Amino acid sequence: MKLQAIALENFRNIALQEVRPKGCGVFFLGPNGQGKTNLLEALAYASILRSFRGGGPDALIRHGEKEAALRLELDHEVLGRTEVGIRIRPGGRSATCDGEPVRRLGEMLGRFPTVVLASGDILLVRGGPALRRRFLDLVLSSADHGYLAALQRYHRCLQERNAWLKGDRPRPGDAVAAAFEAQLIPAALAVTRKRKAGLVRLEASLGPLHLRFSPGVGPVGLRFLPDVAAETEEAYRELLEKSFERDRILRATRRGPHRDDFAFEIDGRPADEIASEGQQRGLVVALRFAELACLREATGIIPLILADDVLGELDPRRRALFWENLPGEAQVLATGTALPEGGLPAGHRLFEVREGRFEPANG
Amino acid sequence: MTPAFEALVQQLKRLPGLGYRSAERLALHLLVERPGRLPELIDALQVAASTIIRCPECGNLSEGGPCSLCADEARDASRLCFVEHVPDLLAIERSGAYRGFYHVLHGKLSPINQVGPEHLNLAGLDARLERMQPAEIILALPNDIEGEATCHYLKETHFDALISVTRIGFGLPSGGGVLYADAVTLKSALEGRRAYH
Ligand SMILES: [Zn+2]
Repeated sequence: MKLQAIALENFRNIALQEVRPKGCGVFFLGPNGQGKTNLLEALAYASILRSFRGGGPDALIRHGEKEAALRLELDHEVLGRTEVGIRIRPGGRSATCDGEPVRRLGEMLGRFPTVVLASGDILLVRGGPALRRRFLDLVLSSADHGYLAALQRYHRCLQERNAWLKGDRPRPGDAVAAAFEAQLIPAALAVTRKRKAGLVRLEASLGPLHLRFSPGVGPVGLRFLPDVAAETEEAYRELLEKSFERDRILRATRRGPHRDDFAFEIDGRPADEIASEGQQRGLVVALRFAELACLREATGIIPLILADDVLGELDPRRRALFWENLPGEAQVLATGTALPEGGLPAGHRLFEVREGRFEPANG
Repeated sequence: MTPAFEALVQQLKRLPGLGYRSAERLALHLLVERPGRLPELIDALQVAASTIIRCPECGNLSEGGPCSLCADEARDASRLCFVEHVPDLLAIERSGAYRGFYHVLHGKLSPINQVGPEHLNLAGLDARLERMQPAEIILALPNDIEGEATCHYLKETHFDALISVTRIGFGLPSGGGVLYADAVTLKSALEGRRAYH
């Protein structure tokens, strides 16, 4: 899809602003803290209905205002020219698509896909498992609503089981626990199965992309580390029975997909140990391009690329490779404190950003 | 505003679906705009409070003894339909697609909300099933996690393995319940009920 226009009202430091990208790419140039990232954040918000920087609605609404609003005009592969409206209030958010209210916000996922490259991405390789699970959950939920449904069912069952464990004197084989476990188990198995298959697809796209950013370094692998190896309901139920005593003492379900992880490997060894800083940064850029390929394949929609100042962190060679390897038809909206060395690619527009105002700088 | 007025608003605000604004509007309506209606309302509340009980058979509203549905001998005694709340029962009655008996649970299992089996209307259930000997049990509980868990629990702990148990909810909006379905949807959900395992 291509962004034709975005209007922001009272979003972070932006009082009222409309930006019309026109063309295959836009570069937002300006010092830090002027609102460049806020614009990318708004675009990603319309896609996943949450902020990629974290923080609830309160943080997104301009100080002293009651609500923030976003309006996007898109040329969309499936919906044609379409308008998306988002309202963010302290209590929550709502969305409209061509004027029609979106009843279940989960339906929005994957409909207007974006791929965000942000400076914290390297933590996907080096950081804790929660970041990698969040990445995987978001990609798979956007690509497959069956995944989102299974994940939501799993988490609800997990909360109910944990509440039961915190209640008075949970006993093994209790009929209430069994009633929730009967739903938890198939949901957990579905989540694990879909994660495994999703990682295989991501890895297949990632391999060749990674080699372009780090020639001769590889092969790269994404090794799934499921917390529960059970593949049948019986085996899963046995595991819950076996860990009951420990769960009872901890008053929480210890084992399950909520503790899954995956690891980046290069030539079969952990990437966070053997890959250089530059290779790791190249790897996460390649991962984002692989994410784009997977979303495109699953939805038939080419995601927008939102590159938030990541280029500043890449070495000059990989920075050039980023621009060379951008998926052809994808529109890219990038921010930076300096222009790319080789100048902007042909057809890209330049906006200068100061104090929440976006001014076109190259006509 | 006066302390008595504020106390009334606070009481109204505790009712489901009322925020402070709507509670205030209601209180003003009752006291200032239409004070003549107040005695009727107080009467209705007092009469209802002193006469309406839960039907000892099914849990529906009743004025002493079995409710009008349980007392209706023309109904089909071979079927028993489980619902979460009284309004669900009313919605199914309005659909006209069902003529059997009901059992109102007044809730669904949810450890998160501290609802266990002891909070559901289950005390007389085994004896009732023994008396009724229904040929079919219909589970018209919400098709969310908690509704599904309640179905599972009932089947495992209260139903004879020989009774045919069916489940509606297919075609109902996921996560929604009987109450939010229109009569046509509800009728087709009842007609399309499936064996529950
Ligand atoms: Zn009754």
